[in-house]
Amino acid sequence: MKLDDRQRDVINGGAGAAMAKAMKTLVGYGEAFGAARMVPVKSCHLAGTFGFVSYGAYYAVLEMMTAAGLRVVVPTTLNPRPGAALSLMNRYAFLKQKRLEEMLESIGATPNYSCVCYDGANVPGPGDRLAWAESSAVQYANSVLGARTNRNSVLIDICSAITGCTPEFGYLLDERRRGQVLVRLAVKEMDASALGYLIGQRVVNRVPVIEHYGFTAIQLKNMGGAMAAAGGVALFHVLGLTPEAPDMKTVFGGTEPAETLTITQEDLDGLRSRDLARPDLVVFGCPQMTYDEAVMLGHHFAGKKVTVPTWFCMVPAALRRLREDVLYGMLVDAGVAIHDVCPVAALSSQMGRKKILTSSGKLFYYLAGAAYGSEHDCLKASGVVA
Amino acid sequence: MTAFRGAGIIGGTASGPALVTRMPVNFTASFTQATNQVPGWRSRIRDRHHELFRKDVRGTILVYPATIGSTYTGMVLLELMYRGCAPAGIVVGHADSLMVSGSVLADVWFGRGIPVVEYGGSDLLDALRDGMLATVNGTIGEITVP
Repeated sequence: MKLDDRQRDVINGGAGAAMAKAMKTLVGYGEAFGAARMVPVKSCHLAGTFGFVSYGAYYAVLEMMTAAGLRVVVPTTLNPRPGAALSLMNRYAFLKQKRLEEMLESIGATPNYSCVCYDGANVPGPGDRLAWAESSAVQYANSVLGARTNRNSVLIDICSAITGCTPEFGYLLDERRRGQVLVRLAVKEMDASALGYLIGQRVVNRVPVIEHYGFTAIQLKNMGGAMAAAGGVALFHVLGLTPEAPDMKTVFGGTEPAETLTITQEDLDGLRSRDLARPDLVVFGCPQMTYDEAVMLGHHFAGKKVTVPTWFCMVPAALRRLREDVLYGMLVDAGVAIHDVCPVAALSSQMGRKKILTSSGKLFYYLAGAAYGSEHDCLKASGVVA
Repeated sequence: MTAFRGAGIIGGTASGPALVTRMPVNFTASFTQATNQVPGWRSRIRDRHHELFRKDVRGTILVYPATIGSTYTGMVLLELMYRGCAPAGIVVGHADSLMVSGSVLADVWFGRGIPVVEYGGSDLLDALRDGMLATVNGTIGEITVP
């Protein structure tokens, strides 16, 4: 890889040993993929916000960085907290939480604590080059906002934040952004989260182009999150909706799709659990719910009482806004537990076989033993709709 | 001996019993479950969606088609390498930014990376069975099997 004088100086230790290793990491990362050069990034988003007690290497690297006084040089946001205070089990599982947050904030990251960082805290524009982690945020930034980022790992994200650059390869380049698989829809009742899950499973790491459908921003978020959990999709297009898919010719770069697949109503329904009766917990909000999403879903709960424990997991800033709203009191009266943490982390430390039902394709993938239900299935299981 | 020539992604050589799957792997779902904290289970795959559920990757040559899932992947693999319970080497159908990061991070920060070879042909999968001794050379991109 071609490095400029400043980058070479950093590698040679001109900015200290920790900074040299950060730059060497990015060079090794880029060379594995044939990157020709480093490019500056506009922002970073860091995914490593769970203070797992059983992890050591990550904290060891962060301790080296903070001891050297390194700071982020571009706007940098943070993923959600894991809910360390929610149970005794979590208190132990995330024993390193306090120290981890101290370190992340001491390097200058914004304490937004949300995977939906693009909801106000860190909003990129079309064509912006980024070095983001968090598979669902990478997906939204690439697909819906037209920004350019690879699926960067935890720690790679921090190396970029403190050096301000990323190796140029993959989804930063035009070639990798073109559509590869055409996805046709034979669907009567849209379930975007289930659709994302199925597309992820079938296209794995290719770029799907979904035929036109008027998905809302909320649906795009939830569909993308599921696609990046059941698959490794970093970028999807929706014809006539997302910024790089005005028409077939543009999105496929003038070539034919390598494959065409059809997702049917039966496929979507096939993901729904057949055992929806009386789960132990119903969870909404993975990726975290925005204010609009909480309002849309929340009105089903007004004046009702949940019959099984029900969680809303919200973007912290969106929850602060909701608290000033009359709906907040109604949700509390209905018995909804409203959290601002990550449900994947918060619920993963349970060893038992709790029956958890969720309308999130992402949470369904990660939570061992969880069941999937459409939004309506989940509202019904909560006891607020017939 | 049969040799397969792919692309060297991360240099170095390693040998071990092959652990082979045709299903993409979600390393985060595999290695961050509560049950991974049971002593000796850190390197056991705990992703219930996967056919390798309960298999131990430690010391193996892991052969799989593609990485899926969370950006925790690099940190999860870094930890396995840091603690010496990672696969000895990896052969992947399509090298991706997350899995490769794990080895780069382990190499730069702790000198413990593992070799990675990209090989997309299905003839390797036909020739390999679980437990067969495989050798990977990430420097020249070669996989050899008995």
